[in-house]
Amino acid sequence: MSYGSMIKVPFGPQHPALKEPEHFLFEIDGDIIVNVKPRIGYNHRGIEKAFERRTYIQNIYLAERICGICSDAHTTCYTQAIEELLDVEVPPRARYIRVIVAELERIHSHSLWLGIAAHEIGFDTLFMHLWRDREAVMDVLELVSGNRVHYAMNTIGGVRREIASEIIPKIIGSLDFLEKRTKYYMKVLRSEQTVLKRTVDIGVLKPEDAVELCAVGPTLRASGVKNDVRRDDPYAAYDEIPFNIVTDDGCDVFSRILVRCGEILESINMIRYALDHMPSGMLRVRVPMAVKPGEAVSRVEAPRGELIHYVKSNGSTRPERYKVRSPTLANIPALCKMLIGQHVADIPIILAGIDPCFACMDRLVFVDVKTNKKKALDFESFRKIVRKQRELL
Amino acid sequence: MRREDKITAEMQEKLKEKIIAIEVPRERRIFAYIKTEALKESIKFLKDIGFKHLSTITGVDVEDGIELIYHLALDGSIELSLRLKVQKDDPRVPTITDIIPGAVLYEREVHEMFGVNFEGHPDLSPLILPEEWPRNIYPLRKKHTLEHLKNLIFKKEDGE
Repeated sequence: MSYGSMIKVPFGPQHPALKEPEHFLFEIDGDIIVNVKPRIGYNHRGIEKAFERRTYIQNIYLAERICGICSDAHTTCYTQAIEELLDVEVPPRARYIRVIVAELERIHSHSLWLGIAAHEIGFDTLFMHLWRDREAVMDVLELVSGNRVHYAMNTIGGVRREIASEIIPKIIGSLDFLEKRTKYYMKVLRSEQTVLKRTVDIGVLKPEDAVELCAVGPTLRASGVKNDVRRDDPYAAYDEIPFNIVTDDGCDVFSRILVRCGEILESINMIRYALDHMPSGMLRVRVPMAVKPGEAVSRVEAPRGELIHYVKSNGSTRPERYKVRSPTLANIPALCKMLIGQHVADIPIILAGIDPCFACMDRLVFVDVKTNKKKALDFESFRKIVRKQRELL
Repeated sequence: MRREDKITAEMQEKLKEKIIAIEVPRERRIFAYIKTEALKESIKFLKDIGFKHLSTITGVDVEDGIELIYHLALDGSIELSLRLKVQKDDPRVPTITDIIPGAVLYEREVHEMFGVNFEGHPDLSPLILPEEWPRNIYPLRKKHTLEHLKNLIFKKEDGE
């Protein structure tokens, strides 16, 4: 094979298979991928710098907006970090409510992903069915928090809303429905030729590679590695709630489907248990505005895997440094490994296989790339440009 | 003996005076401060005793240098933050991608945001910032306030 026969295929930032802008440069030989270079940053909003400018209270809302799918995971991680610095104990009831919302979020995120996976292999009927049924969990989230996307449940020292006993039967009803449907989908997925042909032995990630490349979450567990922050480094009330870690030895895209389906069923059971065993009491404790100097590392099992935040405080009301590493970034090296040796036609489903969330991943600095121009995202400068353009016309 | 204490004892025995400080602030968390030249040796040693997962690398701009914090996890459980300091002018440190291949993007991220040179890294081309981003401007350094960065970029754009 000579290098001369190699063709470079740019993939993204705008591509039908990507729901968010990101760029991958594929080197292909015939139809086989030989090399892949990721270029991220198209959703870069400068959130880490922005954290340093805002107070700890304002930062709750900023953390929530790192991602639109796992918004609760980010606020849980953020509030935990600050609580650790403040030496605050979260009331038991609040810890249970955090688990319930986190698991509802996991169900909605995994259902969303299953739909996208179905869409990427061209099975749009399944996609429509999955997303219709996903509405059940979205309704529950709306019932609990009043919102479908940013639940705004967490605050430093506890949670902001109660889960009232009147709505529990409604939640249980929805969970029963979701359980029935998920079991049905698992049956369909295991026997449906369209799914099997497009996902079995596609995008293989061997366990040793997964560990070497520091993969996280369902991507890692689908390679047979039993690793879950909820069990290994328990937070909220996860040390009191029994659950199984779902793994699969297939190491391919199909395994990633099975792991996520299994996790939905586990989450349903965890929510049932948490609703049953929820202690009574306060929802939050009051905390001071300023945080004494110190540092903390906070970890959460987000729907896509290990999420880690690092905070350094300096005694003021604003953090000195805030670092976010979302699970998608951790899975990119593993993703590149999976893609090598695969067919071009399988790129979309392999990419989708890690459940990428690019908004999460690109958060640091403050420039946006559109039309090859840098634009600072503040209103005044934006107006300046608009005025200038108008004058030119 | 707690697992955390056992690990700190093992580290102290192996790395001796190369450790400047080490503490266990709470269960499953260790913060270790090491001398810059001991990075590779420490990472190798930690990998051997089970810290195979690198969660991320954090850069922190402190007054007299740039701190690099390598967050490593043992069986996904104990999170060890290995800290070292590099000089602000011409910060350089050897890459650890040969020991932990998963560090490849984290090093590039710190390289772009703080200007730390990871010697021996296979590819330090821009990953996150745009191609036209001015050279030698590292946005997460403290001296670059948002106002400063805005001026910098708009000046270039307006051709002033």
